[in-house]
Amino acid sequence: MKKNIQMPKLSEQMETAVLAAWNKETGDMVKKGDVLFEIETEKVVSEVESMESGVLEEIFFEAGDEIKADEIIAVINCD
Amino acid sequence: MIYVENNSTDPFYNFALEYYLITEKQLPEDQVFIFWRTEPTLMIGKYQNTIEEINEHVAKENGINVVRRITGGGTIYTDMGGWQFSFITKGVGESIDFNKYIGPVIDGLKKLDVPAEFNSRNDLVIHGKKFSGNAQCMLNGYTLHHGSLLFNTDFEQMVKCLTVDDYKIISKGIKSVKERVTNISDHLNRPVNTDTFRKLMVDSIMQGSHKEYNLTLADQDRIKTIAKEKFESWEWNYGTSPKFNITRTGRFDGGKMEFKLDVNKGKITDCHIYGDFFGTMDISVLSDALIGTNYEKESIKKAIEQCNIKHGFYNINMDELADIIC
Repeated sequence: MKKNIQMPKLSEQMETAVLAAWNKETGDMVKKGDVLFEIETEKVVSEVESMESGVLEEIFFEAGDEIKADEIIAVINCD
Repeated sequence: MIYVENNSTDPFYNFALEYYLITEKQLPEDQVFIFWRTEPTLMIGKYQNTIEEINEHVAKENGINVVRRITGGGTIYTDMGGWQFSFITKGVGESIDFNKYIGPVIDGLKKLDVPAEFNSRNDLVIHGKKFSGNAQCMLNGYTLHHGSLLFNTDFEQMVKCLTVDDYKIISKGIKSVKERVTNISDHLNRPVNTDTFRKLMVDSIMQGSHKEYNLTLADQDRIKTIAKEKFESWEWNYGTSPKFNITRTGRFDGGKMEFKLDVNKGKITDCHIYGDFFGTMDISVLSDALIGTNYEKESIKKAIEQCNIKHGFYNINMDELADIIC
C-alpha cells in the first residue's frame, strides 16, 4: 500500500514551510519513527518523523523548496 | 525548571552545552534554563548560506567567531554587551509556541520598567525597534528555545559584520530580515550594569527557585569535545550551507575574468570562467582544478598553485585569484 507524506502544519498561522533538508533518499528503507526530513517555518527547525515503515518511493520536492501545509511531499510504499 | 550556570563566553562551547543537554545528558527536570553571553560572534541560522549572510573579511580581521546554530531563523551578531537565553524543554509541542518562553522574559523586563512587546516575527521590540530575536528547534524529543537580548551591544561593529559585499549569489537558503535595533540599556530609567541585569533576569525567570545543576568536569570535557568536533568545524559552519551559485569577477591589466560557480555542501561542483583575457593555456585547466575544491580561500589557493598556470595567462595575477574567487 502506498502512503502519501504531507507537509505538517505546525501552527495555526502556518501557511508554508521550507523543506530544509532530506535525511533519506529515494529507495531508502524507512522505519516508523525515523527522521524523514527537516523543515523550517517561523524560525523553528523541526524534524519530521515517518509515521510509516516501508520504502521511500518518490520525492516531489528538494531541499530549499517552500511548500504549502498539507501538500504531498513524498510517497512511501509500505508493502 | 532547573538553572545551569554557564559563564563560558565561547560560543562554540555554549552551543555544545545546549546540544549536550539535548542529545546526551538528559536531566530529569522538564525544563533547563541557561543565561549566557559570548565574545563577538556571528550566529548563522541552521539552514542559511554562511557566506551570503556575513562579511567574512570584517569577521576575520576583527577575530569575530562564526558559528551555525541548530535553531532556525537569520543571522545575529552577539558580543559581551548582550545576553543569550536558552530554554530546553522535554517534549515537542503539538504546535509552535513562542509565548510561553518569551512571556517570562517580558515579565523580567517589566520589573525594570522596560516597555517590551512582541512583533509578528517573534522578536521583542521597544517602540518598534528590535532588541531580542528568538528561534527554536525540535530535536531528539526536546524543544530548544533560543533568544538573544541586546543590552549594550556595539552596533557599529554589528553593522560592519552584517554588511555583505554585493556579490551575485543565488540560493534557496533562509534569508535574514534586517530590522531596526535598540539596546535595552538605553531604555532604563536607572543605570543597571550588565551583571546586575543578568541576575535580575535569572531571578525573575526562575521565580525565586534556586534549583541548579552544576556541570561536572566530565560534563565539561564532553562539551569541549562536541564544541571542537561539531561547532568549530568548517563542515558544520560552511559545509552544510544549502547549495548556491555565485558569480565573482576580477579585473586585471590583462582583462576581466568572471567565475560562475556552483557550490554544494561547501564544495565547488561546477565552474565556468568567462572574460576577455589572453592565455597560452586552456582556461579549463583552472576550472577543472577548482571543481571538487572546498569553497574556502586556502583550499582554492592550493588548487590554483597545483595547476601550475602562473605564466599561462597574460597579465593576470594568479596570486590574487583566490581572493577574487572566495
